[in-house]
Amino acid sequence: MARMTFLCDSERCIECNACVTACKNEHEVPWGINRRRVVTLQDGQPGERSISMACMHCTDAPCAAVCPVDCFYPTAEGVVLHSKDICIGCGYCFYACPFGAPQFPRVTNFGGRGKMDKCTYCAGGPEQDNSEEEYIKYGTNRLAEGKLPLCAEMCSTRSLMAGDQDILVEIYKERVVRRGYGSGAWGWSVAYGRSQRDTYAPHVRFDERGDA
Amino acid sequence: MLIKRTTATAARSGLVARMASQAGGGKGVTRRSFLQQSGLAAGGLAGLGALPGRFVRRAEAAPIRADIPKELRKNICTHCSVGCTVVAEVQNGVWVQQEPGWESPISQGTHCAKGASVRELVKGERRVKYPLKLVNGEWTRISWDQAIEEIGDKLLEIRNTYGPDSVFWLGSAKFSNESAYLMRKFAAFWGTNNIDHQARICHSTTVAGVANTWGYGAMTNSFNDIQNAQSLLIIGANPAEAHPVAMQHMLRAKEHNRAPWIVIDPRFTRTAAHATQYVRIRPGTDIPVVWGILWHIFENGWEDREFIAQRVYGMEAIRAEVARWTPEEVERISGVPGAQLFEVARAIAHNKPGTLIWCMGATQKSVGTANVRAFSILQLALGNIGVEGGGANIYRGHCNVQGATDMGLDVSTLPSYYGLDEGAWRHFARVWDVDYDDLVARFGTEGMSPDERRALMEAKGIPTTRWFDGAAADRETVDQPNPIRGMFVMGHGGNTVTRMPDMLEGLANLDLLVVVDAHPTTFAAVQQRRDNSYILPACTQFEQDGSRACSNRSLQWGQKVVEPIFESKNDREILYRLADKLGFADDLCRHIQVVDNEPLAEDILREINRGCISTGYTGQSPERLKLHMRYQHTFDKISMRATEGPLAGDYYGLPWPCWGHPEWQHPGSPTLYDTSKHVMEGGSTFRARFGIERDGETLLAEGSYSLGSEIEDGYPEFTMAVLRTLGWDAELTPEELAVIEAIGGDNVDDVSWAADLSFGIMRVAISHGCLPYGNAKARAVAWNLPDPVPVHREPVYTPRPDLAADYPAIEDMRDFRLPLLNRSVQQAAIDARVSEDFPFVYTSGRLVEYEGGGEETRSNSWLAELQQTMFAEINVQDAARLGIADGDQVWIVGPEGGRSRMAALVTERVGPGVVFLPFHFSGYWEGESLRRFYPAGADPIVLGEPANVVTTYGYDPMTLMQETKATLVRVEKA
Amino acid sequence: QQDSVGVGGGWDENRYVQPGLEARTPSAEPINPDDVPIMIPHDDQLRGRISIPDDRLGVLVQPDGRVWRSFRIQGLFWIATAAIGITVLALGAFFLWRGRIRIEAGRSGRWVPRFNWVERFTHWLTAVSFLALALTGLVITFGRYLLIPLMGHYSFNTLAEASKVVHNAAGAPFIIGIVLMAGLWVRDNIPNRTDLIWLKKAGGMFSGPGTPHPEAERFNAGQKIIFWVVILGGLAVSVTGLALLLPFFVSGITGMQIAHALHGVIAALLIAVIIAHIYLGTLGMEGAFDAMGRGEVDENWAKEHHSGWYDTEFGSRRPSSPPAAAPESPQRSGAGMR
Ligand SMILES: Nc1nc2c(c(=O)[nH]1)N[C@H]1C(S)=C(S)[C@@H](COP(=O)(O)OP(=O)(O)OC[C@H]3O[C@@H](n4cnc5c(=O)[nH]c(N)nc54)[C@H](O)[C@@H]3O)O[C@H]1N2
Ligand SMILES: Nc1nc2c(c(=O)[nH]1)N[C@H]1C(S)=C(S)[C@@H](COP(=O)(O)OP(=O)(O)OC[C@H]3O[C@@H](n4cnc5c(=O)[nH]c(N)nc54)[C@H](O)[C@@H]3O)O[C@H]1N2
Ligand code: HEM
Ligand code: HEM
Ligand code: SF4
Ligand code: SF4
Ligand code: SF4
Ligand code: SF4
Ligand code: SF4
Ligand SMILES: [Mo]
Repeated sequence: MARMTFLCDSERCIECNACVTACKNEHEVPWGINRRRVVTLQDGQPGERSISMACMHCTDAPCAAVCPVDCFYPTAEGVVLHSKDICIGCGYCFYACPFGAPQFPRVTNFGGRGKMDKCTYCAGGPEQDNSEEEYIKYGTNRLAEGKLPLCAEMCSTRSLMAGDQDILVEIYKERVVRRGYGSGAWGWSVAYGRSQRDTYAPHVRFDERGDA
Repeated sequence: MLIKRTTATAARSGLVARMASQAGGGKGVTRRSFLQQSGLAAGGLAGLGALPGRFVRRAEAAPIRADIPKELRKNICTHCSVGCTVVAEVQNGVWVQQEPGWESPISQGTHCAKGASVRELVKGERRVKYPLKLVNGEWTRISWDQAIEEIGDKLLEIRNTYGPDSVFWLGSAKFSNESAYLMRKFAAFWGTNNIDHQARICHSTTVAGVANTWGYGAMTNSFNDIQNAQSLLIIGANPAEAHPVAMQHMLRAKEHNRAPWIVIDPRFTRTAAHATQYVRIRPGTDIPVVWGILWHIFENGWEDREFIAQRVYGMEAIRAEVARWTPEEVERISGVPGAQLFEVARAIAHNKPGTLIWCMGATQKSVGTANVRAFSILQLALGNIGVEGGGANIYRGHCNVQGATDMGLDVSTLPSYYGLDEGAWRHFARVWDVDYDDLVARFGTEGMSPDERRALMEAKGIPTTRWFDGAAADRETVDQPNPIRGMFVMGHGGNTVTRMPDMLEGLANLDLLVVVDAHPTTFAAVQQRRDNSYILPACTQFEQDGSRACSNRSLQWGQKVVEPIFESKNDREILYRLADKLGFADDLCRHIQVVDNEPLAEDILREINRGCISTGYTGQSPERLKLHMRYQHTFDKISMRATEGPLAGDYYGLPWPCWGHPEWQHPGSPTLYDTSKHVMEGGSTFRARFGIERDGETLLAEGSYSLGSEIEDGYPEFTMAVLRTLGWDAELTPEELAVIEAIGGDNVDDVSWAADLSFGIMRVAISHGCLPYGNAKARAVAWNLPDPVPVHREPVYTPRPDLAADYPAIEDMRDFRLPLLNRSVQQAAIDARVSEDFPFVYTSGRLVEYEGGGEETRSNSWLAELQQTMFAEINVQDAARLGIADGDQVWIVGPEGGRSRMAALVTERVGPGVVFLPFHFSGYWEGESLRRFYPAGADPIVLGEPANVVTTYGYDPMTLMQETKATLVRVEKA
Repeated sequence: QQDSVGVGGGWDENRYVQPGLEARTPSAEPINPDDVPIMIPHDDQLRGRISIPDDRLGVLVQPDGRVWRSFRIQGLFWIATAAIGITVLALGAFFLWRGRIRIEAGRSGRWVPRFNWVERFTHWLTAVSFLALALTGLVITFGRYLLIPLMGHYSFNTLAEASKVVHNAAGAPFIIGIVLMAGLWVRDNIPNRTDLIWLKKAGGMFSGPGTPHPEAERFNAGQKIIFWVVILGGLAVSVTGLALLLPFFVSGITGMQIAHALHGVIAALLIAVIIAHIYLGTLGMEGAFDAMGRGEVDENWAKEHHSGWYDTEFGSRRPSSPPAAAPESPQRSGAGMR
């Protein structure tokens, strides 16, 4: 089974923000919610690099571990999704997420911050694939259509790649060998790397629950 | 109750299976070979994504409404000249989704922020929705009929009182070729050359400089071809922000060829971040730097002697000038250490072919033309022109600035660079099927003699950089009957021309201001006007058909995606309606079919095919272009040549010149001046435009000719006389000869290939493997220019007054109907010690999210969110000295009185003493918001202080290009 | 190996490499695919520039999220479990050992005023809002483990949403409550010498019945401790709670994590302390509840528990007198305990 991940080749990323607006466009993501963003390190100095970041769909996802209402569920391809029907907008996933991925419609906690929204890997949510309800809550479900995330598909320099982890690693290695430089994928050690000390295995896996 | 997720739909398992098989190496595609393909052809997952992408399109997938079928329409991105394909999914006439245009050889599915968000344009939350009229300071809704009626009456009034030259027409680089052509033609029938567009403030100096060097003012190679480059030299361009998708080709060159990547720029840009060498220069010192590089090349004998001997005229004079530019002198002027330029010279000399990329850092200067000539000469010295992987890769600006320039939307020429002389007018009178004398009569004011009228007809107009000088009658005397009294702007922002305070004064003087645009633009939020202003809602390019030429000269046909939204109309219809009101609609569209007031784009293109011979705009029929869009997938992703299918052999988009009639099936010219190919395969030579010899030295190529040429040496451009000399005139068909004789009248010998509407001369020349335009040398010395050999001149407002004595601005002169006072202004500034009060060098440029004046992109919430405040980049040291912290408000004050307030972005991007401003903002004036002046509901989301409030006097003598990239300012903490 | 993947030649060793730009200049050495770095280790927060004016988005990687996660699902979980659990167990044990603490002298039948209505209002305002906060907070902390298996995700979502609303709303009365409480009682809670003695004898709680309670003023040292715990702890949960309520107003992600951690831990400890307080105020001690219930206490209770206070307030006016009736014998109750 493919393990879906992102890899941002920071040697190529030019901070063009196509990935960002592609996401907004595809899912009609409202102002203030940034499922994807591009951060530039060492801005303006030799060594500058930009990295496009969204939910990394972590192995053993911290967000899922801390969610007090247990609304996350991993898909068979390793995509970490959540249910907006169950989310209470507490913001804990944001505190736990190493990549700042979860987003909230409102800043304040008064009356709640609204349902958490984050990158779905263009794979929608628990509703029926490509149903209207799914689109309204989570945006389109490209994966179900056999397409990959739009942000990666539209990336101007093919810096951002999405797909099976093994293939991404192969492509990346090939690039580095060919070009003779490259420093690795930002966030991978945190998202997929270490064995988790704090592993929390949900008692019941969300996607296996019929009733829940 | 939770609807249980269906874990794998058919399509999904298809994707997974496919990936698994690729990964596992089964079914003939080994993992390694798949990876190689994806790395090479698409550099990543394009291949991976493309397969399932196409695979599912057949499946009935519909994310928006599963029950309604989706239709795919193809257009191109409306923003920059890269020309990325936009694939629209339309449901019920609504554009619901944007898909990657995988098949485009240029963009290969990708976009930048702007392209990935164009769907917003036809959602149109902030668009102008219906015609508006300014009534006592309030924008009021009116009908289209009323608008055309009133505007037409007013125009005729101005025409009757002051003459046609008193209306300034401003077209757009966003127009399709067809709209651009139509508007140029419109101006001719109106009777003025005061018609211009963005190219003036963009690449006018490139066009002038490059055309005067080797023939055509255009990018020589293509973005894709850069993948063949062994070195990349990028001067004054920041493609990472301005042409992001071009970067994929550039990065592949760097990665695949291990090509050195050299960036010469005053800022450490996002492009420089990818460099192997970065050279920081003082703005405005490109010529010293390029001569400094050439100094090392000559010093070490790295120049391509054979190429120079065969194909370059005047290199000795260059050597003489370059000899002055020792490493010490270069460092004194530009601040670049000599040793660094030695490394640059070595890198590009040892890694050939190498591409040279330039853009606004070079052109927007009072020495713009000289700059680009120096760059061209560097490539000539290295023998990098006319080869794959080499070239002068001039990244153009807007989506169709190349085409609009080709269509002559310009004060100095008719379409296809025919110029304005009598021959040119007579040529177009024939193409348009109108009487030449009738055209003459349309120029000038009542009581003028035909000769006086002809003089105006053949005089360059007032360009967009200085229309307000032409509108301020008392300021300077204008060389036309009356000053400008009316302005008609189609698709052009108002905050993008320098000296905005003066511009506002000009606006206040106008009797009529018409803005035809999808967004209100800065012109609409002008406090100085209260009446006699109109805004007409124009369609975006996604609401109309038409062709556009991207930077590499490829033409792409854009398909209408949705019907015009709100009450907007397309430019062709608007021009036609107005022409109808003004009384020349029939002349304008004599051979163009008009349906519902809309002149058909296809028919206009066919007329272009008939008349725009000199640039080879003849083979690109609408039918061929549409086929190219349909069969995009058959084109190779590097050579851009179709390898299979009905278009096999064609180059994508039939990059001009594409000779002959469409039936000739000329494939287009992927690389200009490439002699290794036959002319019918897209090969070519330097153009012979400047005679045969000068001072006893030949101007024709020596021993160099394009593959298969029967003349194995240089030759002049083809005329009947040349054909006769060669004895090839007999090969003309009687029909062709009849046309030529009709054109030539008493002087049949003088009929040149470019005026020959039968295409006979061209056909015969090409049948002998010759370029109809001749085979000449490129001119390192262009004797007809103000500086025949490019020389350094300090900016008009120079931070180094001590250098102005040695490197002064060009002498005062008169041109374009106005005086040009660079030298006087420079001297006055020096005398007033301006550089002491204004110690920072100002430069300006682009942010990836915004386009041009920015009204369009600042109205797009997906883009606006990414850049919410106007800022000035200030170096860390300077900021510390002035006590300015990142994010503080500062005043940027210009030496001519402009002041603007913005946030400070404290950064190492700019060096000490340099301040950089993005120019996309508008809607503030000296710290005050102008939001209330915008028509309700059409105000952009983000407003900010325009960068051109503080820009100053200073123009290139060839084209009156403005100096937007080097002036002086003061920074004050607010 | 290299030939099989690249068309590019090697980088000429003599080529100039500009200082600062090495990272993107090809190396002259061929790279073995196995040596290609994939995972960049990061242990520190990585922050960069982003054009969107939102500080949070500038943080690219915050590995501390992992630490917080471990705190949240392990640290806090166990701290709360332990604090509350140990307290409950200890109280249970205490009750079994000591039983209800009686008024040794029996009820006198005479009431002396102890808390006026302002004081009682303040107390109950604080108490009710605290209980609301604690229960709803516990739903958030433990609901996933205890309640979801019982009620399922969707019903629990309703409860959790409601808890959140209640928790957010109850903060305000709670803050008002502790502020008032501080104003009313701070004078009586300044620690002094008698507290030392009281503490040395542990309030006489373990001395068994019969032994006189150590002298105490209006509040004994134990109550003073509760008071200060409530005031200071309450202040701490309020401040951290407000920080959680208005996320990122005062700090970035790290500050939020710290605020949450403090809030959770202090809340857990407070809950534990208050459980003990409630025990004493109800089940644990005869006559105590009246103080907050009716505002008056039995004279004997006052003499036994707060002799100092009783003497200064009432001693001069009303001489002590034997109880009018002794409803229960101290012996029996004491015997029961043994
Ligand atoms: N996002 C975006 N993309 C665009 C556009 C847009 O508005 N927004 N506009 C399009 C258009 S119209 C154009 S013309 C192109 C322009 O594209 P570019 O020319 O690449 O963009 P600029 O940012 O204007 O300028 C490029 C660089 O010139 C540098 N520069 C300034 N002064 C000097 C100098 O004296 N010498 C040298 N060597 N460099 C100097 C600046 O620091 C800047 O980095 O972009 C096109 N693409
Ligand atoms: N300081 C400073 N100033 C500069 C520059 C700089 O670098 N620094 N760069 C200069 C350069 S290179 C350029 S090209 C100019 C760009 O400057 P402008 O051309 O003024 O900028 P845009 O905002 O792109 O203007 C295009 C307008 O066309 C409208 N439009 C789009 N499509 C259509 C259409 O189909 N029909 C019609 N009628 N309208 C349409 C858009 O809504 C938009 O308002 O700015 C120049 N000014
Ligand atoms: C429902 C449960 C509660 C009961 C039955 C209860 C009962 C009492 C009683 C009887 C007293 C008076 C003791 C005396 O006369 O000296 C008291 C005092 C006090 N209560 Fe409570 N209380 C409860 C909840 C709380 C809560 C939740 C808080 C704070 C968060 C609190 C804080 C205090 C304080 C600070 C005092 C004064 C000091 C003290 O006597 O310890 N009480 N409570
Ligand atoms: C001014 C007072 C308080 C405010 C504003 C406040 C606010 C908050 C907020 C915003 C949260 C985040 C949880 C969510 O939004 O769902 C929270 C969590 C919590 N609060 Fe409070 N709170 C306050 C007082 C208290 C008190 C007095 C207690 C208990 C004694 C308490 C116990 C808890 C608990 C147990 C959690 C859950 C922590 C976790 O499981 O991670 N809070 N509080
Ligand atoms: S990146 Fe953040 S939100 Fe995404 S799976 Fe990991 S922890 Fe969860
Ligand atoms: S915000 Fe929603 S998804 Fe995130 S932890 Fe809270 S309940 Fe779970
Ligand atoms: S995968 Fe989809 S949802 Fe996630 S960032 Fe990319 S476009 Fe947005
Ligand atoms: S689209 Fe690609 S290059 Fe552009 S910012 Fe995103 S990841 Fe970087
Ligand atoms: S702006 Fe230019 S690079 Fe960006 S998507 Fe449009 S055409 Fe492509
Ligand atoms: Mo431009």
